[in-house]
Amino acid sequence: MAIASRPLPPRDEPRRPNLARADIQLPAVRDYEQVDREIVGTLRPTLYWFIGLGVAVFFLLIGISAWMYQIYTGLGVAGYNPPVMWGVYIITFVFWIGIGHAGTLISAILYLFRAGFRTTIYRCAEAMTVFAVMTAALFPILHLGRPWKFFWLIPYPNWRYIWPQFKSPLVWDVFAILTYFTISSTFLFIGLIPDIAVLRDRENISPIRKRVFSVLSLGWRNTDSEWRHFARAYLFLAAFSTPLVLSVHSVVSFDFAMALTPGWHTTIFPPYFVAGAIFSGMGMVFTIIIPLRKWFGLRHYVTINHLDAAAKLCLFTSLVVGCAYMSEWFVAWYSGNEAEQQFFANRIWGQWWWASAILYTCNMVLPLTLFVQKLRRSAAWLFIISFTINIGMWFERFVIVVPSLSHEFEPWQWTSYRPTWVDYAILCGSFGWFSMWFMLFIKQLPVIAIAEVKEIVPPKLKTAHAHGVDPSGRHFEFEPDTPGEFA
Amino acid sequence: MSSDSEQTTVTVAPNGVKRREFLKVLGVSTAATTMLGCASEKVEKLIPYLVSPDETVPGVSTYYATTCRECSAGCGVIAETRDGRTIKLEGNPDHPLNRGALCARGQAALQGLYNPDRYRGPMARKNGKLERVSWDEALQIFAQKLGETRSRGGAGNAVFINQHESGSFPGFLDAWLAGFGMPAHLSYDAGADHAVIAANRQSYGVAWPKLDFRAARLVVSIGADFLDTWGAMVPQQLDFADARANHETAPRFIYVGPRRSLTGLNADQWIDCRPGSEMAIVRMLAGQMPVDGAAQATGVSAATLDAFAREFAATTPSIVVAGGGGADGLEVALAANALNQSKGNVGSTIKPGEGYLGFDRMASPAELRSLVARMNAGGVSLLMVRGANPAFTLPKASGFAQAMAKVPFKVSFSSYPDETTEAADLILPDHHSLEQWGDAEPVRGTISLQQPAMDPVFDTRATSDVLISVAQKDPASAARYPNPDYRTWLINRFPGGATALNAALPRGVAAGSLNEPTTARPVPAVQAGAPIAQSSGNMYLVLYPHPFIGDGRGANKPWLQEIPDPVTKICWQTVAEMHPATAESMGLANGDLVDIKTAAGSLTLPVLRYPGMQRETIAIATGRGHTNSGRYAKSGFNPLEILPAAEDRAGGIAFVSTKANVTKAGGYAHIVTTEGSARQHGRGIARAIAIADLKADRPGYDSGNAHGSEIAQQGGPETPRGEQHEGAAAHGEEMPGDAPHEFLPGLRSPVANDAQGEQGDQRSNHKGMYDPNHWSGMGKRRWAMTIDLSRCTGCAACVSACYAENNIPTVGADWQVPQILPDRTGFGANILRSREMAWIRIERYYEGGEDGSANFDARFVPMMCQHCGNAPCEPVCPVYATYHAPDGLNVQVYNRCVGTRYCSNNCPYKVRYFNWFGYGEPARPQYAFPEPLNWQLNPDVTVRGKGVMEKCSFCVQRIREAENLATLEKRPLKPDEFTTACAASCPSRAIVFGDAADDNWSVTQLAKDARAYHVFEELNTYTAVVYLKKVNHPAPVPAGRA
Repeated sequence: MAIASRPLPPRDEPRRPNLARADIQLPAVRDYEQVDREIVGTLRPTLYWFIGLGVAVFFLLIGISAWMYQIYTGLGVAGYNPPVMWGVYIITFVFWIGIGHAGTLISAILYLFRAGFRTTIYRCAEAMTVFAVMTAALFPILHLGRPWKFFWLIPYPNWRYIWPQFKSPLVWDVFAILTYFTISSTFLFIGLIPDIAVLRDRENISPIRKRVFSVLSLGWRNTDSEWRHFARAYLFLAAFSTPLVLSVHSVVSFDFAMALTPGWHTTIFPPYFVAGAIFSGMGMVFTIIIPLRKWFGLRHYVTINHLDAAAKLCLFTSLVVGCAYMSEWFVAWYSGNEAEQQFFANRIWGQWWWASAILYTCNMVLPLTLFVQKLRRSAAWLFIISFTINIGMWFERFVIVVPSLSHEFEPWQWTSYRPTWVDYAILCGSFGWFSMWFMLFIKQLPVIAIAEVKEIVPPKLKTAHAHGVDPSGRHFEFEPDTPGEFA
Repeated sequence: MSSDSEQTTVTVAPNGVKRREFLKVLGVSTAATTMLGCASEKVEKLIPYLVSPDETVPGVSTYYATTCRECSAGCGVIAETRDGRTIKLEGNPDHPLNRGALCARGQAALQGLYNPDRYRGPMARKNGKLERVSWDEALQIFAQKLGETRSRGGAGNAVFINQHESGSFPGFLDAWLAGFGMPAHLSYDAGADHAVIAANRQSYGVAWPKLDFRAARLVVSIGADFLDTWGAMVPQQLDFADARANHETAPRFIYVGPRRSLTGLNADQWIDCRPGSEMAIVRMLAGQMPVDGAAQATGVSAATLDAFAREFAATTPSIVVAGGGGADGLEVALAANALNQSKGNVGSTIKPGEGYLGFDRMASPAELRSLVARMNAGGVSLLMVRGANPAFTLPKASGFAQAMAKVPFKVSFSSYPDETTEAADLILPDHHSLEQWGDAEPVRGTISLQQPAMDPVFDTRATSDVLISVAQKDPASAARYPNPDYRTWLINRFPGGATALNAALPRGVAAGSLNEPTTARPVPAVQAGAPIAQSSGNMYLVLYPHPFIGDGRGANKPWLQEIPDPVTKICWQTVAEMHPATAESMGLANGDLVDIKTAAGSLTLPVLRYPGMQRETIAIATGRGHTNSGRYAKSGFNPLEILPAAEDRAGGIAFVSTKANVTKAGGYAHIVTTEGSARQHGRGIARAIAIADLKADRPGYDSGNAHGSEIAQQGGPETPRGEQHEGAAAHGEEMPGDAPHEFLPGLRSPVANDAQGEQGDQRSNHKGMYDPNHWSGMGKRRWAMTIDLSRCTGCAACVSACYAENNIPTVGADWQVPQILPDRTGFGANILRSREMAWIRIERYYEGGEDGSANFDARFVPMMCQHCGNAPCEPVCPVYATYHAPDGLNVQVYNRCVGTRYCSNNCPYKVRYFNWFGYGEPARPQYAFPEPLNWQLNPDVTVRGKGVMEKCSFCVQRIREAENLATLEKRPLKPDEFTTACAASCPSRAIVFGDAADDNWSVTQLAKDARAYHVFEELNTYTAVVYLKKVNHPAPVPAGRA
């Protein structure tokens, strides 16, 4: 759990190497009661929340209606323009899968790296991951010509002994998405157990809710042995999720990289997609956390220091992504492959120049402003940047999918592409679906990990034991915070 | 199952039903009831024939040899009939005219037969509206009107206009008319080149001589589109392709004319003269005009003309043909014929004795125009029309439709609604040519027989039988018609009678002659058009017949609307073609609307930039824009509305007779085209080799892009901007960086050999059917195809054959778009989204001429599934819906497809097509086969459902049929025993199909040609389609200037 849980150590103590500045300070949070009160207090539904949920459900209904129409009439109602056989749905699929990655990165990788600034944002990011994967998983089904046959991609035992084609990246996708969903939802749930126990133990809780929370908290009693097991399990899951951050989006990138198509057929895609995914996920984290900390009055939990640190990560991934873009250009030029060169020329100067311009501006140029500390520490600017990142990353996938397919080997079959209202409606529906789940989540479960925050909040001094003793025998002013600290 | 049934046997007890058994029966019957209750579809019954008709075996085709009536030529066809329905037409190999080939219009005869807009039965006008009547009533009205006309002394003023055809029927009709005291009928073909027919009669004594391209060393066509619609297209194309394929003696071909038609695109050189200046060229060739003068008149550079004149003078034998529909068409054709005579070509390359008889006895449009005057004056008492549609095919300015209203009674024998028939008072719908008896005499000494291939689709009657039955009831004529029907009449007339006819019918042709040689009809006084240069306007207006739709006859056949024009690649639409530079100077992009004003009217059309246009010329195809010819024919516009009624001196319509004022109209219409980029961008798809290099066995120049900047027009409507200004570097066949390599036949490559791919374990003994030693022998085969680009003319007959054979839906009708808020509407809306389904397409690439000059080369590449040995589509399909068959086919399993479309993304050739809508479901607006078009569907081929991928199968149904037949007959397959639909119909014989693993098949030999190449060979796809490079014949370097 949270690593940095103490005030600055004495000057002569050897510093823990990867302790970020931001991670030790929640100066406005004084004690456990305050944490319980303020975080649990966010769970009370408000009028605005109901309106927000209503809007989300409305968008979802639009998407569902469009999908029903599409299933009935055929995929022709979407804007496909052969040979652009993939369009908005696959773009949006990759977009949502990418968003998911930041959550796992924050909750698992940063946990292993002991980056303390993750403590207050990870729950939100992790929930975002699960819901983003749930959204993304709809799209491969949604874009099928015969969606009711989607289960043929799953290797289930059947009377005819027909198995999926294991050479196909789309089958790998099935495994990648299912694995990712399983692990990330498990990870989210495990982390929630102590918090659910807190909710369970509240007064004035309805009996049904108490019953549900009792089951979900798995009988958590806050004992030392529970904490020890919990911490090991959490560590194990974090280690287990870490490779998934890299592998899932690599597999998604294989959908493209394994094909012959100019613009797709490149070995840089796996790292490039992973970096892009984290980048887009960081953008979405900002988009979600900045309004939340304001509306829920949690600015003293998610401090500007935390945002600053996250912005640095965002800037870093932007640089990685930018580097990948430039490698693509270089390789296209250096390969001497005409089809590839003409494709890249077309991508930048051809009919899709505007999409490329959006992509490069949003993903390479605008994030450079984060080098400026003042902007990095401005929640408003981060919120704006998060939107441009989301837009830019959607267009990155657009630029990968559409121009490549519209400008392939066969010049006779070069075409254009224009989405129809059905594409847009289903895109909106996906935001509605995601937002609906997130809206429901924030009023049922705490958006900030109560237990972890408590770890970094100084406990009340106990008279019986005025100070702690560290392994070297030195005395501390405060009681050490043993529970959960890398047991 | 088996254990169940054992149990059942055990539990059966003699003393009645046991409880367990009762429950079982109960369960089964409940399940059965439930399932029946759930079935939403109407329960239909399949009842086999109690007494099967002769020759009808369910599931086995019967073939009837008959004659194609889609144009005047009279080709032989073989109609494949399955369970009483004709499903496919093939050329008759024994027929002297088409020798087994069949053009797109011929293929589409089936869509005339099963046209959903056909009249269901006779109709009569009652209270101003056409209503269904019974045949008895209709015939009674007809007989009564005939009687009235005769009794009032108006018989001499009755007019019968018949769709032009050769054979016995015209004579029969004239005799019938004479019996009622009526004048001989007008045999009308709006699409024929009357000036040339008249000139040929004058020069050679026949209407249409045979052109022997094989004997010629130079072919000069002055606007004569002998590969489109000019004359007997199929035999001309066969001869031309044969001549050009013999590289030792192949003629060079120069095309002169203001618009580069399909014929022009097949020429080695195009001389873009001004419309109306053709005479100057001919006179220059004849030495009657100095080159400078000709250059002045034609707008072509003197150097080009000088070289042309020298080459023409130096080359014998040659062929000069002229056409093009100018007001001076007769003079030009006569002068061209005189050139042939002076060069001694007649007899050597132009063979009047072997000419085609299909153009004899034709009435000229001038006769119809003079008829208009008579009708207007009330001088026509009865008008009878069969097949022809003069109200549409004559220029609006001639006023035929208005004049028709002044005729007291009009009878139409047309089976389809059209502009003329809709004005008729009585409609006695004729059988389709596939439903009736008849004959034709396409060449002297050969009778081509026509027999019904099936029972009539609707309640129609053959006009010949109608005439007989009317005559039999008429006391004056009855004695002359002892025969009950036209068939008996034909048998009696046939040399040798019924026995001989029955013996000849299986072949479809018989030796003999039915008609006496005919002389030309006298031409009435013509309204000769003034020289085009004297009309006012800023551009010359050129109208030309659409290669498929022709004069408008094919407009209601969705295949002919949907198959893109071989030249412009436009479907479902009428456009105005302009040279890119001209369009640029007027500020017109593709699709911008222009107003085209002539003395006769004005028309607003979208512009198509086409480099094969003379710069001062605008061209429009005729045939579209019907008001009343059925649901599909409504697309497009009819340019005849703005054509002044001028004629050439032979009485033909002068299609190129006026200038027009062309101005930008403002507004935009999407261009409905299947073209993406018209340039290869150096990708080596359509390759060519110069004849000298081929003879010297040099690798030759080639492929892709010639250099320099491209002109902006080239792409389709939405050509990527980046392509337009990009100068690709010159390069050879190999991709840069590739090691030079020998041509890989790929047909028996290691990858193709082992369909498991490189990953397959070579040592494995368990390859199943992929093992060449497997008893099925499938693994021994490798189905493959060669396409000779030096033969291919790009005519798209293969495309129509594929539509017919493989149940390919047409998608371009305006009601086939989504019903809720479609973002594109109108005819061709789905094609704007590139959703055409043609399994084979003809790509037309331009080489050279980037500066906008006339000096560009067009290359046609038929592109279909390449059946790669190492197919990129196969490993990416997650559900094995596409896989590799042991005999080398790349197989698509429709039932297994879930529609991820990844296969199409990964296909470099882009030959996979997706079912975006339920084109095969009758309840949907997108339904492509409205009753009875669905009768044509090939029962051997699935009608694909919504949401699945489809593509060329190499006609797998034909492969399996042939294999099964061989198995039943206990013999191996014979080499070249069968072929695919595209190869069978190809009038250039460019496509050859067969087993490339067996040296005895022609395809194997052809694939060894020095010109062979694979498209995108560098992708290691090991395709089964081998292209043979086009052979170019560049202008000879004049002696002394080398």
